[in-house]
Amino acid sequence: MGQTTFGVLLVVVCALLEGVAQVLLKKSVLRAVRRYLWISFGVLILLIQKLIYSEALLFIDVGAAYVISSLNMIAITFMSRCLLREKVTRMRWIGVCLIFIGVGLVAARA
Amino acid sequence: MRKNFPTRLAAGLLVAILLDTVLQIVWKSAVLSLPSDGSPWLNLQAILHNPRFLFLILLMAWQFFNWLMVLGDADLSYAQPLTSLSYVSVFCLSVFYFKEAADLIRIAGILFVLAGVWFISQTDHITHSKEREA
Repeated sequence: MGQTTFGVLLVVVCALLEGVAQVLLKKSVLRAVRRYLWISFGVLILLIQKLIYSEALLFIDVGAAYVISSLNMIAITFMSRCLLREKVTRMRWIGVCLIFIGVGLVAARA
Repeated sequence: MRKNFPTRLAAGLLVAILLDTVLQIVWKSAVLSLPSDGSPWLNLQAILHNPRFLFLILLMAWQFFNWLMVLGDADLSYAQPLTSLSYVSVFCLSVFYFKEAADLIRIAGILFVLAGVWFISQTDHITHSKEREA
């Protein structure tokens, strides 16, 4: 496996981990019960994600990392709908997709 | 459609975007200052002795508590995409402060991000518990 491929894989893992961590943090503000447990798990996953991201930046350019990281927006929107039962309307999905395309265009020239 | 947008949420989102902008810049410069052939242990030692990483940790802590406040006032699927406005702030910073070229592709990207943020801002910022249970 090439260094770039390895870096890309690390950033994809980071994007998914961030999705999971954000859902746990949102759970912590939704429920008074086990609030600190949700926060602790969320922080733990975020710390692991930050360490992996730091490692990934040694293998790929920050611009490319930025584009791939923005996959977390799609993951977070999907997880918010399924795990948090948020009302994700078509308008919100359009917004997320436009942002994803926009980030891709900006970072392609970074 | 959007109504009664809380000032505290607007302030929280603004701080989140500003902190994200600064974090991205400081993080990259801090990572580049690490020894290129260092082992994880040497990197950890370098991190603990590098003031940029300590500043980074302070910024992350501030970002974290601000983010919890934002999540208390808004849906995750609403607040998180809005923080992508940091792409716009980084772009403006690079063009107006660092005098980098602003080509058409990047400008188109920024317009896409702004359009996306506009679409999301037109939705309700929070799902009420009754809707959540439905």
